[in-house]
Amino acid sequence: MARFLAIANRKGGVGKSTIAVMLAHASAAWGKKRVLLVDLDTQCNASLMLIGGERWDKARRAGRTISDYFFDRFDKVAEDESHYVAANVGDVAHPRASPGRVSLLPGSLMLEDVQGELYLKQAKRGSNPDKVAQDVRNRMMRLIKHFGHDFDYVILDCPPGLSFAALAAIDLADQVVVPFRPDYVSQFALDRVALLIERVETADQLAAVPFVDRRYICLPNYVTGKGRERLLIDEIALDHPLLQSRVPLLDSVARAFDWEESKKTMAEKYGDALPHLRALHDEVFGAATWLAKAG
Amino acid sequence: MARTRRFLNGAAKDAFLRQVLAAEPGLDEATRERLALALQSSIALISLRHRSSSELSVGTPDTAAATHEPDAQNAAGNTPPATATECEPFDPYSPNVIVVFRTLGRDAALAELHAIEDVECLRLLAREQRLGIASDLADAADIRHAIVAAAERRIANRRAAAS
Repeated sequence: MARFLAIANRKGGVGKSTIAVMLAHASAAWGKKRVLLVDLDTQCNASLMLIGGERWDKARRAGRTISDYFFDRFDKVAEDESHYVAANVGDVAHPRASPGRVSLLPGSLMLEDVQGELYLKQAKRGSNPDKVAQDVRNRMMRLIKHFGHDFDYVILDCPPGLSFAALAAIDLADQVVVPFRPDYVSQFALDRVALLIERVETADQLAAVPFVDRRYICLPNYVTGKGRERLLIDEIALDHPLLQSRVPLLDSVARAFDWEESKKTMAEKYGDALPHLRALHDEVFGAATWLAKAG
Repeated sequence: MARTRRFLNGAAKDAFLRQVLAAEPGLDEATRERLALALQSSIALISLRHRSSSELSVGTPDTAAATHEPDAQNAAGNTPPATATECEPFDPYSPNVIVVFRTLGRDAALAELHAIEDVECLRLLAREQRLGIASDLADAADIRHAIVAAAERRIANRRAAAS
């Protein structure tokens, strides 16, 4: 059974999709793992990064996206999970002999609408709104879990906000990586998402959970090295576990997501961001790390 | 300046840790680097018993200011615009007042600020650390108290928003 890694933060623009795609490429290329990226964000950026606009458009026209999967399964349409998965995606080349590959369950612009419809469908069976919401969330969680049989890692690229899909992903995840920009407002976002992940309601309750027992770890992203960032990172480290890795603000990271038809090496794709990605990969997926110990 | 205790954080802390490791002849470069990264990541604040000559060289602002560039675009509140030039060499990010306050308490934060005597440097620290103080304060002691009060407010602010 796969390990499930969610990339989540209620705040938008913190680099969730970027990190999700980078980790998927790294795990397939260096860890030789079979990786599925599930794009739960209606912006579909991870999908566009991995298969480009045309192939993503074909997938949605063919009814092979995350929202189609949820909708079909709620209606008990018996398609195999693999029907919805785009195999061998991304523009990084992997040796034929290596099992390492990235697959994608493409995102959908319609996911939020579909979640609303699923809620209404479920509501016809019960009257308590909270229970209905919980049922939808649980059902989504179980449905995503089905993909765990064919992969080593399932990376869940969560949307910002608190949709059913985001909550289901956070519930399901063995571990959650929370990327953040080291700026003042990010502290508030981290505090809130931490409560959600640890299923507690107050800062005091969160503080009572030792760092080693927490299901999430935070990743400073878009780091420029300015003094004020360091202040904030030191401050955040008082309340939240942090990865040692930092993802710097580099053009090479931004350029890496210009999807191209031709496959390339990791070095060609990530340029001078490569050592940072390597360090992040080793820390997240390394044998002795928190994800390996999870579950 | 004779002192019995000094706190290091940020670049000064990192430089201090690297200097200590560099003085260990039994460590190879890779081990030294690994230990430096691990310690820098794990340790937010160092409390030194006294100022040694080696600490003076890494803890004084020369080194730290070189790695920290005050961002003039983000002036905090109504603090007058002190500049890095006026206070050089001075690291406005050290001490991290919020971290000292939260880990060691209000008195420790105030004590740490006593190491900074120049009013303009105190203003620059307040601005860079987003600890808004009134512009009409002229006395260093008053500014230090205002900085600590601002830190306390910011901690309370975040705490209130978190739950």
